[in-house]
Amino acid sequence: MTALLEARNVSKTFGAGLFNKKHTVALQSASLTLSDERPSITAIAGESGSGKTTLARILLGITQPTSGDILYKGQALSKLDRATWKTFRREVQAVFQDPFEVYNPFYNVDHVLTTPISKFYPNAGHAETRQIMEDALRSVGLRPEETLGRYPHQLSGGQRQRIMVARALLLKPRIIVADEPVSMVDASLRATILESLLNVHKQFNISLIYITHDLTTAYQLSENIMMMYQGAVVETGDVDLVIKQSQHPYTQLLVDSIPLPNPKLQWGQRDFTQRTQSNGAGPNLGCRFADRCPHVMSICREKLPPLYQTDERRSVACYLYKDAPVAEVAVAA
Amino acid sequence: MTDVLRVQDLRVHYHTPSGPVRAVEGVTFSLKKGERLGLVGESGSGKSTTVLALLRMLKDPAKIEGGQVLLDDVDLLTLSDAEMRAARFARIALIPQGAMNSLNPVMRIKNQLGDTIKYHNGNLGRSEMTAKIQKLLESVGLDKGVADMYPHELSGGMKQRVCIAMGISLQPAVILADEPTSALDVVVQRQVMETLGKAQEEIGASLILVGHDMGLMAQFVHKIGVMYAGKLVEVGPVNDIFEEPLHPYTQLLIASLPSLEGKGVFKGIPGITPSLLNPPPGCAFHPRCPKVMDQCKVKAPVFQEVRPGRWVSCHLY
Ligand SMILES: Nc1ncnc2c1ncn2[C@@H]1O[C@H](COP(=O)(O)OP(=O)(O)OP(=O)(O)O)[C@@H](O)[C@H]1O
Ligand SMILES: Nc1ncnc2c1ncn2[C@@H]1O[C@H](COP(=O)(O)OP(=O)(O)OP(=O)(O)O)[C@@H](O)[C@H]1O
Ligand code: SF4
Ligand SMILES: [Mg+2]
Ligand SMILES: [Mg+2]
Repeated sequence: MTALLEARNVSKTFGAGLFNKKHTVALQSASLTLSDERPSITAIAGESGSGKTTLARILLGITQPTSGDILYKGQALSKLDRATWKTFRREVQAVFQDPFEVYNPFYNVDHVLTTPISKFYPNAGHAETRQIMEDALRSVGLRPEETLGRYPHQLSGGQRQRIMVARALLLKPRIIVADEPVSMVDASLRATILESLLNVHKQFNISLIYITHDLTTAYQLSENIMMMYQGAVVETGDVDLVIKQSQHPYTQLLVDSIPLPNPKLQWGQRDFTQRTQSNGAGPNLGCRFADRCPHVMSICREKLPPLYQTDERRSVACYLYKDAPVAEVAVAA
Repeated sequence: MTDVLRVQDLRVHYHTPSGPVRAVEGVTFSLKKGERLGLVGESGSGKSTTVLALLRMLKDPAKIEGGQVLLDDVDLLTLSDAEMRAARFARIALIPQGAMNSLNPVMRIKNQLGDTIKYHNGNLGRSEMTAKIQKLLESVGLDKGVADMYPHELSGGMKQRVCIAMGISLQPAVILADEPTSALDVVVQRQVMETLGKAQEEIGASLILVGHDMGLMAQFVHKIGVMYAGKLVEVGPVNDIFEEPLHPYTQLLIASLPSLEGKGVFKGIPGITPSLLNPPPGCAFHPRCPKVMDQCKVKAPVFQEVRPGRWVSCHLY
């Protein structure tokens, strides 16, 4: 059984070039598998700079990993022939934060939607193009007659974001990688956009990779989660286990710090060191969380902990669990 | 306890070529000493404009059309520009939206903090200034060595703390913080907010926190003001707002909040944010309101105290 998309021990180091001696290990040996048979929703979560976007860009084939492989239907991305590469580019789509920012404000919605259609369906006529656009807009809950022809400033943030989901849908992808699709919008819009994403997952059997630093929505939306800390996967697996019964000290700290929308449930009382995150480029030896960890042991500073398989559906990179077997592959969808 | 700040019928319009954008249209609230008010509402509902108006820091094409901003009974809107400059930071200080990007990248932290202090206190002696800056940095949980650093050498959370230090440096009576932690992860966010809260309590200031994050509001403020289309639609104690929101918009907002309880349920608010160029007649929320009545479409509701401490603008009450 080959996976639809698989990341195998991918790492990325930036800036270790001829002129730049200071390098950043943005991603350290991350693995992820998306099944070809069963569509899934996987969240990638972690603080700013933890390597989430780097992993997303590697999965999308935009960034080359320094080591490790991305396999699409069993074939390494770097070795795809042109036709398969084109299929990959169509089947794996991205939704970014506020993509209209990178678009020309003088382009209207139609332009944003017709560009990919003409690229991937060069033979589509005018009527067919229109039909594809309208279907995609309706599937994210937008009325085409109220959306087409408009310019970015005539749309709300939530509408713009849903147009980007619609744009990804046009191409009937198998996977959508959504990088912080809702981080800048207010609570009610966030719910609307995530609902559209969930609907397209269910309706069109599309797998989602949802990148966020919001654990609450990650919990609500996904089945699996990968928690990252400074480029390393610290805990991964079933979202209920990871969030509700966290094992890694970092996940515990994060979950405990979620500001719950209930004035009666005050911020957790767990102690944590006052030190803020170091700026990337930390020592490569040992667990990256060691400096902030309340349970740190001497072994933690010697060698990066491997992922230990503590449950059938979860693994944790922490020496507190070193009696569990080392995980063979990082937990998959 | 007496009110430190009273805002009455504040109105701000942006004069654009297509007409006035009614960004703030009759906002009234008050703040007691030491009290923390959270200002929430959809993107574009006028939160930042309100806060900038209190400081008279709005730029063209914005114009304050009317109202009063009474700080200890002095109307800030009637001060001369020079008087207002003296009041900023010293009496009422801002930690702006995206504050950490507002630091000057080519200036050491100590010089940026020093400038604010100098502007208001004249030239302190060198050692006195150094001591003051060290104390400020320590009060926000930063190492005194940060004084000699440049912004790019600091993490986002550290920069945010520097901005808080700047905001409290002159012990203002009122601190305005516009989304001070929106770019930070939850762990750092919690540290920064606890720092801000402690600093505010130490100097006995009142505080207005602007933001989208209802979780943060629940954890931090005493009172919540909900804005919709340039108006306050509800103000009340934080517990009451979460337990029994009265305005239909607040009700939907609270219902839309994600939790660690239900999975796969998302309740957004249907419909689209109204235009502030041509706001809907009557109650601005009526096109999206599930409880809309005939009069809502024609008559604007009055913002009034419907129960002790609970202010609402809705025809249901
Ligand atoms: N093109 C690049 N050149 C050099 N360093 C980079 C580059 N892209 C990312 N990095 C570094 O790699 C690390 C991981 O960055 P990444 O953007 O993947 O984080 P992230 O988890 O997406 O963070 P955020 O939540 O802030 O988006 C950071 O330290 C970042 O500064
Ligand atoms: N310079 C400007 N010219 C015209 N309209 C403006 C200008 N600045 C803001 N506005 C409008 O004024 C309204 C209020 O904006 P404001 O920035 O106060 O909203 P906000 O509630 O702070 O939103 P956010 O949560 O996105 O920060 C918005 O509709 C906005 O489009
Ligand atoms: S490996 Fe050690 S330092 Fe890292 S999280 Fe576990 S106990 Fe803490
Ligand atoms: Mg990112
Ligand atoms: Mg704002």
